[in-house]
Amino acid sequence: MKLLFNRKTMTLISVLLLLIVSIGGAAAQDPVTITWWTLASAESPEPAIRAVVEAFEAEHPNIKIDVTIMAESAYGDLMNTTIGAGEGAPDIAYFWETPWLPHTLDITDRLEADPDLSRDDYFEEYFNNWAVYNDRVVGLPFTVGANFVMYNKDVFDDAGVDYPTADWTPWDYIEIAKALTDPDKRRWGGDRPRGPFRAIWRNIGATKPYSDDSTTVEGYINGPDAVAAYTWLWDLVDSGATPTPADIEVLGTEGTGPVDLFIAGRLGMATLNNGHMITAANAGVNFGVVPEPHVPGNERFVHAWALRASIWAGTEHPDEAYEFLSFWAGPEGQRINMEIGALMPSLPAVLEDYPDAEADYFQGFMGVLNATQTAEWRATHPCWRGAVIRAVSDAWDLIMLGEIARDEVQATLDAMVEPAQAALEECVPRLGG
Amino acid sequence: MLSLWRNMTTQERRDAKTGYLALSPWMVGFVIFYAFPILATFYFSLTQWTLVDPPVWIGLDNYVRMFTRDPLFVSSLKATTLFVALSLPLKLVLGLMLALLLNLKIPGMNIFRTVFFIPAVISGVAVSLMWIWFLNPDTGVVNTLLHYVGVQGPYWFWDLNWALPSVAIMSIWKVGGAAIIYLAGLQNIPAHLYEAAEIDGAGKWRRFWRITLPLLTPTLFFQLIIELIDAFKIFTEAFVITKGGPLKATYFFLYYFYEEAFRNFNMGYASALALFLLVVIMGCTVFVYRTSGRWVYYEN
Repeated sequence: MKLLFNRKTMTLISVLLLLIVSIGGAAAQDPVTITWWTLASAESPEPAIRAVVEAFEAEHPNIKIDVTIMAESAYGDLMNTTIGAGEGAPDIAYFWETPWLPHTLDITDRLEADPDLSRDDYFEEYFNNWAVYNDRVVGLPFTVGANFVMYNKDVFDDAGVDYPTADWTPWDYIEIAKALTDPDKRRWGGDRPRGPFRAIWRNIGATKPYSDDSTTVEGYINGPDAVAAYTWLWDLVDSGATPTPADIEVLGTEGTGPVDLFIAGRLGMATLNNGHMITAANAGVNFGVVPEPHVPGNERFVHAWALRASIWAGTEHPDEAYEFLSFWAGPEGQRINMEIGALMPSLPAVLEDYPDAEADYFQGFMGVLNATQTAEWRATHPCWRGAVIRAVSDAWDLIMLGEIARDEVQATLDAMVEPAQAALEECVPRLGG
Repeated sequence: MLSLWRNMTTQERRDAKTGYLALSPWMVGFVIFYAFPILATFYFSLTQWTLVDPPVWIGLDNYVRMFTRDPLFVSSLKATTLFVALSLPLKLVLGLMLALLLNLKIPGMNIFRTVFFIPAVISGVAVSLMWIWFLNPDTGVVNTLLHYVGVQGPYWFWDLNWALPSVAIMSIWKVGGAAIIYLAGLQNIPAHLYEAAEIDGAGKWRRFWRITLPLLTPTLFFQLIIELIDAFKIFTEAFVITKGGPLKATYFFLYYFYEEAFRNFNMGYASALALFLLVVIMGCTVFVYRTSGRWVYYEN
């Protein structure tokens, strides 16, 4: 029987087939590239970012990470532009603005199916407030941040005042601040809050600026609890035990709090955050940490935050993007950032290994991480931050400047109702309620 | 237009083509970077747009809101107008005075000119941070000096009545830039006019009023328009120092625009605000231009 092809032809065909198969196989094994936009900070410096990429790529040779470390000033513009254009956005990034959230990938099912990572691995409050949006898991909380009161033990000892304890009230805060204040030593007792409706407002009477359904301001912004909170602020300003806004502006640090005054011993107490706490510890300050004061019997709130690490909904590689997200914002990635930078991980099991975890002040900080967060309400009411707070800022300014009498607080807040209601009604159709 | 072209000689046509070719980079830049964004801004001003979601057409709603029910529009416009009224004369007069001094013929004048010009090229943010220190009520240089002469200085940026004047005072920091323009104008005034006036017995003051000022009016006119536009665009000081406070005393129009666009994700309304500012600035410029015939003197 004569062969259809001769031997030479058969060999050639075989070689060609082998080549085609091998080329196809190589193409299938080409690494997928995931784009990642991030920011460098003291918590997560560039070496930590590079180390995360290196460790991930070593574990996942089929995925390459194309990381871009951005300036914070440009980050928002680029995110807005690329998300708005529907193309060019990174596979992975921090999605911190509420309008960006509908453009994140829902990772609920992926996280539930993940054998190595679960929502229970994270601090519950941080996960619920920073990773969940409209009942969808839209990212993973990266790092933890919180406000609490730091008190300078040397200042307290010098003034002969007992250290504050977790059960203190807002009015205790004023009394202690007055006792610590010493004009001869150019020393103030405590600082002023940096905005209304944060922890102390909620601690005084679960005060909210408007109704949960985002329709009504009347009775909230000027309700009895809000009046009590603003009156407390009036008393604090009137006590003379706090630096003026001018002092804070000049002597504060990066607009987030007067840590320099605190470290210098010119401020007995200050509402600061965990970044400041590490700064003070490194400066050798003898200090303690307590939660912000609250009214006994009321729920305790903490003003806290995390960075929301998310996947862009338009990604072409959702599986690989999730692989990287769960690495970077999971135990491995957060541990690398903790060890190289100063990140405080959002996973209790990792945070427990923080170098100073056994220190008293650190234990005080850990104590606030499970409190209910003001973000629970704020994160689901985007109109507060942009529109309504601006409409009511005059009440804050009037008190800060000492322009109104104590018994004018109610009338001042009543006058804020109309502009706040108008701002709310304008904003809700746009950003949602 | 076509007939004009037909009536041209070959040489004229060639020259015209060369002229248009030379102009074309600017024309392209104008269309891409100015005309198109202005037209786009007009379109977006008729929409509700959060930046990241597609714009929704709402017709004139943004303008209706702006003119009928937006107290912040009124207060920001008021603060900006007050700032313009305060800072503009200050900068024009001080700039001229400085230029007259820098026009003196004394040794080392180039060093003085450089020193006074340098602030004009320093970043607004850096300047703002420096003025925070200058005007600090407790430890600032200004209040410390006032204290030495027995005056209790105000709280400046943090005082309801002083916040806006503080920003206006701060704006004179860059007066060296204006002075250099005036200086160029001063040096263009023919020396023989002064010599003739001196022979006729005119004193310094008379020479200033009768020669310097009239012949400097084209420069003054130019400077007035430039400073007017610049004053309406006041932003950095509010952004860095006052955040629009206290009590919205420094809540300038452009700061309001910024907050609406990038904090409140209300780009449609921000576009309407931007267009309104464009119209205001254009109106003021046209007014100055139209009245310039009465007070600007061109030697030729």
